[in-house]
Formats: sequence, structure tokens, C-alpha cells
Amino acid sequence: MIELKNVSKTFHKHSGAVHALSDVSLQVAAGEIFGVIGASGAGKSTLIRCINLLEKPTGGEVIVDGSPLLTLTPRRLARERRHIGMIFQHFNLLSSRTVHENVAFPLELSGTARDTIDARVNELLALVGLTDKRSEYPASLSGGQKQRVAIARTLASNPKVLLCDEATSALDPETTRSILELLKDINRRFGITILLITHEMNVIKAICDRVAIMSEGRIIEQGAVGAIFSHPRTELTRRFIASSLNFAIPPEYAARLKPQAPGHPLIRLEFTAESAGLPLLSTVSRQLNVDHHIVSAQLDQAGGANFGFMLVEITGTAENTQKAVDYYIAHQVKAEILGYV
Amino acid sequence: MSEPMLRMLLNGLWETIVMTFVSGFMGFVIGLPAGVALFLTRDGQILENRPLNRLISAIVNVFRSIPFIILIVWMIPFTRMVVGTSIGVLAALVPLSVGAAPFVGRMVENSLIEVPHGLIEAARAMGATPLQIVRKVLLPEALPSIVNGASITLIALVGYSAMGGAVGAGGLGQIGYQYGYVGYDIVVMNTVLILLVGLVFLIQLTGQYIARKVDHRK
Repeated sequence: MIELKNVSKTFHKHSGAVHALSDVSLQVAAGEIFGVIGASGAGKSTLIRCINLLEKPTGGEVIVDGSPLLTLTPRRLARERRHIGMIFQHFNLLSSRTVHENVAFPLELSGTARDTIDARVNELLALVGLTDKRSEYPASLSGGQKQRVAIARTLASNPKVLLCDEATSALDPETTRSILELLKDINRRFGITILLITHEMNVIKAICDRVAIMSEGRIIEQGAVGAIFSHPRTELTRRFIASSLNFAIPPEYAARLKPQAPGHPLIRLEFTAESAGLPLLSTVSRQLNVDHHIVSAQLDQAGGANFGFMLVEITGTAENTQKAVDYYIAHQVKAEILGYV
Repeated sequence: MSEPMLRMLLNGLWETIVMTFVSGFMGFVIGLPAGVALFLTRDGQILENRPLNRLISAIVNVFRSIPFIILIVWMIPFTRMVVGTSIGVLAALVPLSVGAAPFVGRMVENSLIEVPHGLIEAARAMGATPLQIVRKVLLPEALPSIVNGASITLIALVGYSAMGGAVGAGGLGQIGYQYGYVGYDIVVMNTVLILLVGLVFLIQLTGQYIARKVDHRK
């Protein structure tokens, strides 16, 4: 449905050329939810804006629903854009229009008849649960309600593709969850292909089928969410996953932690799809005569794969604790000694 | 105050109102498209065009730098050509409109700059043409600010029209000048001032009221 072939984008600034995108290729299949994650400045915002040509790529091809967008005349491009919905971090609702008029906006642009517009707007407001707010102005709505209006507005012209530019980044966690559910619902109900960009791994985990990780204008890794979460190949991806797991050494442990033995090792265990299902801790305890004290742990599921981490203090003889660490590594667990307590 | 005097003052007030509002309207007819063009051709805007932007900008700057009292005199040949005379209210309308237009142009440009860029982007993403962006996004979103600018323009025009009065434009300015400066009639001069102050207050308050009515940003 969306295909980018070797897309690059260079900005010319006073300080010289900035390569926002370098040779980016990706394919998003019809009906899937594809996420692009990256730190700010990684080029993900430029990437999503290159899909509907808000930003014109310096090189490469952009094909949406079979149309090579870069070859179209401005008039044809405007018409194609009506099939590519987009929602934004800051909602971009028209302050001078009521909720109803905002949702009607794209239909007015395409010259739809008044009666048809009213019927369609009412239907959409019911879909996003804002029928009672139809005569309000955006200024009186909460962030979540504004994004729902923006979603209703973008659905008005029956898009085949929906681009989400950090759509939940300005929202609190609870509202984020409800907006993500709405997006997933739209994706399933209308079969709309969704491409979203975010800097939060939780968003990817919650609704994406596939994910691409961006860094410095390049896609460094991409694949099914389950596979990426369970087998991250790059350090950056691992860091994004860790960030979604909320990993931190409790302060009281951090204060007591020494870089060298003697003491009991404090170990971080990272579980992947293969290891998350095995009874490793109890096996190690039994066989090597060591004890595990679990300091903190988080195990999660994304795209059907288990993954997670555990912070464990191992007590036992120095020899046995080292053997325990070796055992974990041999069983697909990434084990790292953080220090000794 | 005698009845003929009162009638003359009322007539002067009416002439001032006509000069202010008609030239204000004409100023918008020329200045609004100019302001929109100034905005759209700026760097990074939808019709980015540096040479055109520089050209319009230069014309605007030239007309804004001519002092109004000189503009009236300088434009006399053109005014004669357009309305057939160089004295009276009709003749004053020509330089007043020309004086107001570049002012309105800059003011409109500034109002449009305040419209969040994301709104233009969202409209483009929805397939809006440049004309649709101007009509359905830029002007409605900038309306409160444009209305405020319009009151500033009209108030400036009240002053300009009085200046025109000194060189035969009619209106309260001429009465104030003749009876005040030339004849030193304190009563007439002060009445003219009170009427002018009243007119300015009325424009300002009405402008604020309308701007508040059309502003839904908070």
C-alpha cells in the first residue's frame, strides 16, 4: 500500500547540507499497522512527511496505493492526498470552526453536497464518541477529544492510508491508550493501513504489526514487532525496548553497589522469545545451589512474543554464582553483572 | 453655537466618516490581496517566490515611506485623472486609499504569519488547493487579528483625512484647520476635537467587540 524506494532528503542550511533521510526503503502492506521509532532528530518526521509529499524527497520513489506520487501534477497530487489521511501531534484543528465544521472541512474541499456532508459528519462524530460536542469549538476540548476530532476529520474522505505523526506524544498515558485503541479499531473495521511514527516503544508494542527503527536518517532494523522485541540486533533497538520496560536499579541498591567482588552479584537478565518460557531460575537454583533474590522484573508480550528483564541478586559461592551466569548465557539469556552488593 | 455652524460640523463629521470608511474599504480591496500575496510568496510558504515577494515588498515600502501630506500633493495629477478634481471628499479618497493599502498589506501579512503553520500543513495533507487554503484556513483563522488591524487602519485614516482637510479635502479636519488655526475659534476647534475623539473611540470599541466575537481560540 505504501512503498518507499531509496528515498533520500537533504536540507540545505547555512551550516551546510543536512541529510535528513539517506536511502530509506520500506514497504507497508495493505491493512497493517506499521510503526517507525526513533529518537528526535532521527528523521522519522521527515520520513512520514515524504509519504504525502508535504516534504519533497530529493531522491527515490514514493508509491502510495499504486500511484507514483512524485510524478503527479499538483492537481492530481491534491486529489491523491484526499486518500491519505494524516493526524498530528498538535492536532491542527481549525480554531475558527466548530467540531462539526472541522470534520466537514475535507468534504468541503472536495465539493461534497451539504446534506451528504452533514450525514457523514454525524456518523463520524458518533464513531469517535463526540456527538454531544458537535457545536463546541476546539479550544474547549481536552487533548484526547481534539485528537478524536482530528481522527474523525481525517476519516471523512475515506482514506486508504492513515499517517500518524507523533499522534499521542502530547497526550497523557490514559488518553494515549484510548486513542491507540481507537486507531486499532479503525484499522480493523475499515481496513485502513496505518503508518505511525513515535519515540515511544509502548506505542509500537500496543498496536503495531511491524516496526522500523530509525537512526541518523537511516532505517537500521525492521521486522515483525514480536521478532524485533525478542531478538533486537542493534544496541539502539535494545535501548528502545529497555525504555518501554521502565528498567532502573532501585536507588538503595545503586548506593550499595560496588564494581568489584567481594559480595553477591547483582545481575540483569534479558529474556528473549526462546528463554522467556523456560523455568531457568528454579533450574539454576537447584543445580548450582544458589539463591535468587528478585529485585525487580518486567516480562511482557508484543506481537505474540515474550520478552523482558529481571534484576536479580544471586547468593551462593563465588564459583557457583559465576556458573549461574554462564548457564543463563548458554540458554539465550543476556546476563550482565551490574556490580556486587 | 449657531445653527449653520452646527450643520457645518455635522456635515464635516459625515464627510470624515465617508473618507475614513470608503478609503478603508478601498485600502482593503487593494491591501488584502497584496498582504496575502506577501505571505504566500515568503520563503517556506506554499507559493514561495523570492523575486515576486521582493517586488511587492519594495512597492509596499516605497508607499509606506512617503509622508501622507506629501502623498496627497504628489498624487494630484493621478487624482485628477481618476476623479476629475483635486479638491473635496472624492479627491481625498484617492490618496487616502493608496495610503491605506500598503499599511493594510503589511498588517494582513503579519496576521497571517500568526496562523500556526501546522494548520496549513494539515490542509495541504487533506488535498486543499492554495486558493482553498487562503479562503478556508488562512483568512478565517487570522480574522480576529485582521479585525484588530482594521480598527488600527481606520483610526489612522481618521487622522490622515484630517490632514487632507488642510489641503482642501473637506471633513472635520478642514473645519478644525480653518476655524482653529486660521480663525482661532476655540469652541469650533474643541468641538471638532471631541467629535474626532468620539469617532476614534467608537471605531476602537466596535473593533474590539467584533474581534472578540470572531475569536474562538480560547
